[in-house]
Amino acid sequence: MNFIHPLALLGLAAAAIPALLHLLQRRIPPEMDFPAVRYLSEAERESARRLRLRHLLLLILRTALIVTIVMAAARPLVRVRAGVGSAHEPTAVVVILDNSPSAAAVVDGGLVLDRLRVNAHATVASTTPADRAWLMLCDGVVRGGTREELLATIDSTHPGWQRLDLVDAVRRAARLVDGQPLPGREVEVLSDLQRTAFGPGDPGVPAGARVLVLAAGRAVANQGIAAVHVSEGAAIIELSGPTPQPVPVTIRIGSGRDRGEVAARGLATLGNAASGDTGVHAAVTVSLPAQTLTPGWWVGEAALEPDELRADDRRPFAWRVAPPARVTATPGAGPFVTAALGVLRDARRIVDGSEVVITGGDAPPGGAARVVVEPPADPALLGQANRALLARGVSWRWGETGTPGPIASAQLPMIAGAAVSRRYRIVPQGDGEQGADALATVNGEPWLVRAGSVLLLGSRLDTAWTALPAASGFVPFIDGLVNRIIVGESEVATAEGAPHVEFRTRGTDTLGATVFGPDPRESDLSPAPPALATAALGGSRRVEVLSPDQFAAARFAGTRRADLSAMLLVLALILAAAELGVATRTH
Amino acid sequence: MPQRLDLLDPAEVARLGGIEIVAEGVVEGFLAGVHRSPFKGFSVEFTEHRAYQPGDELRYLDWRMLGRSDRLFVKQFEEETNLRSMILVDASRSMAWRGAPERLTKRAYADRLAAALALILLRQRDATGLITFDEQVRQVIPARVKAGQWTRIVRALIETPDGHGTAAHAALQRLTALLARRGMVVLVSDLLFDRELALAALRYLRHRGHQVVVFHLMDPAEAELGGPPEVRFRDPESSVSVVVRPRELARAYADTVRREIAAWRKACRRHGVAYHHVLTDMPFGMALRLLT
Repeated sequence: MNFIHPLALLGLAAAAIPALLHLLQRRIPPEMDFPAVRYLSEAERESARRLRLRHLLLLILRTALIVTIVMAAARPLVRVRAGVGSAHEPTAVVVILDNSPSAAAVVDGGLVLDRLRVNAHATVASTTPADRAWLMLCDGVVRGGTREELLATIDSTHPGWQRLDLVDAVRRAARLVDGQPLPGREVEVLSDLQRTAFGPGDPGVPAGARVLVLAAGRAVANQGIAAVHVSEGAAIIELSGPTPQPVPVTIRIGSGRDRGEVAARGLATLGNAASGDTGVHAAVTVSLPAQTLTPGWWVGEAALEPDELRADDRRPFAWRVAPPARVTATPGAGPFVTAALGVLRDARRIVDGSEVVITGGDAPPGGAARVVVEPPADPALLGQANRALLARGVSWRWGETGTPGPIASAQLPMIAGAAVSRRYRIVPQGDGEQGADALATVNGEPWLVRAGSVLLLGSRLDTAWTALPAASGFVPFIDGLVNRIIVGESEVATAEGAPHVEFRTRGTDTLGATVFGPDPRESDLSPAPPALATAALGGSRRVEVLSPDQFAAARFAGTRRADLSAMLLVLALILAAAELGVATRTH
Repeated sequence: MPQRLDLLDPAEVARLGGIEIVAEGVVEGFLAGVHRSPFKGFSVEFTEHRAYQPGDELRYLDWRMLGRSDRLFVKQFEEETNLRSMILVDASRSMAWRGAPERLTKRAYADRLAAALALILLRQRDATGLITFDEQVRQVIPARVKAGQWTRIVRALIETPDGHGTAAHAALQRLTALLARRGMVVLVSDLLFDRELALAALRYLRHRGHQVVVFHLMDPAEAELGGPPEVRFRDPESSVSVVVRPRELARAYADTVRREIAAWRKACRRHGVAYHHVLTDMPFGMALRLLT
């Protein structure tokens, strides 16, 4: 039993008043002559037991009356079954209202968020001044405040653009309520319980804290755009969710007078990145009219036909249209490189020039700004070539012969998987340039490294070293090297947020762009089974996945108490009436 | 129209003067209210007839004469002069108590009642005597009918001080020796003594052929308990005390008193003793009428 006003219990000291009055009244009584004492003694002897019982009864009634009134003033709360009464012990409660983009899905004619918001509203409305309540939205910010403030926040909540990791949210919420010196600790998860919303790890829900999870509603199918990449003249539209065939996609490029539109009904194919973790299941490739676009930064938007979740049906993208690189190759670069450059020259992807030089370990011509260096064919020249690299300030050099293996590269997907049969290990050297990074690896060891204005290859671009020159991705690879990688690829970053594009600038130069959009995992609306949600959020001992009715009944049930003050007041009235009756009868 | 003293409040009557005055006044009023001597009984004999007058009691109508002559006659009786009456007045300490200052003490009431009774008896030429007693016999006025007897009785009442304890049994035993001839014995007492011993003596008197009358005096405050919330009541005779809350004990006490009176009445009736319960606020005339 707990009390809303425990200080009122100090009044229990007043329960001693009847006993004290009884003792204080035992003073020496006045003495009077009375001849009929023998009758008196007989009457007292006969009624002594009855009088003692009455005295005891009166003492008990009066003491109980005071105790009852004091207890009623203290507002006692007793644990009751769920659904009975509305009072509960002071409770620290965090309401996790998942207003991530997926909450904007329309199910049965209404927003998923509306269904969640009703429950959040009911929880906050059920709190008492003795409770402490917080609200966590998809941005992960824990909001405190008065009940009215929280209700206003809930009422004004709209679907956001950030993904909420429920495991992390529950972890933070549980830590928060666990730190509160209140008898009750509760975390309420109001989410559409997407399977993809459960991140790794254990939320570490402490003992004594309850996690109530509202069961997911009806699942609906959804298809969304997970990401859009522009590479080598084509837009690769990665799709999430089930993929009907074919997928109608609309590409809009530019804005204002430059605005153009490309309608495409692309064939969705399983992409390389198809994965349950990223939510990407398929990709549609749409060619862009690169030749008609003037060099510079371009913004486009890919759009699918509307479905239940509109938030992921459109996604912007940005890319830079660069002028053709001026490239030349030294004789040591090999015939395959020379042939590839010829193809690119014919396609007007490059022009002759010395801005970018591809060498075969020999020294590049003077004045070359950027160099792509293959190892020399003659191992005896390796030391000379390393010294030349060191002289240019390159912090990498060719080392011992490495083991054969396939190429792995995220930035150059066209060469991924190509076999390498001969290579040199690329190892750091001296106090050279520190900005080097590996663009491709073989067996986990750097195979293609960028060190400032120098690209260092671990193998010669020759079929005796690697199968890459015979692969279809070779020409695009060379295109990427000279037009994109070596000139310093303008980075297009992605970020979570409302769909839009922001450019990073320095002075008048545009350095890159950031494309904002929802997390691709938000497009997968398939809910997690209750067992999975229970296990992910802390286990069945602390987590309950409940239907809306069960959720309403279980809300604060762990600390739900019935206020006994009204009953005690009725009892006090009964005691007072009984005391009056006994006292009147006695007198 | 002059008021009848026998029907007034005893305390008011007592303020008129001494015992003699009060008793005479009461007796005058009392006798004026009755048509005949209230004490006709075994001690009277038939003398003659006279014509019936309205107001005569029908019990004295001679039905035989009515049957023979078809005329109404009533029988007249002549009182005997040899009735011997002895009045016993309890002068114990408990009798000198009153529950309220505006009332007479039980002793004062008993004295005046005894004096009035003696005057009535003497006016009927009955030999009347008096015994006062507490734990022992204090005054003995043998039963006489000669002149000045009432004065002696009144003087004895006045001269008997308030006693201490009560020993009715001893006084009644002493009485048996003083009453050689059968007669009437009137005991005026609050009966706050051992009932069995007293009844044994009364039974003995009845056995000797005496007519025994008991006036059980009680102050109204003794019949109905009252007082402060808590009080120590002390028996003036035995100094036994008891602490009680009168309001709590009132009902039980009233029940006890009723039982005690009922027990006295039942015991007296069983042994042929006339028992009368008299509160000290009862007019003397009404108390005397109990004897008729």
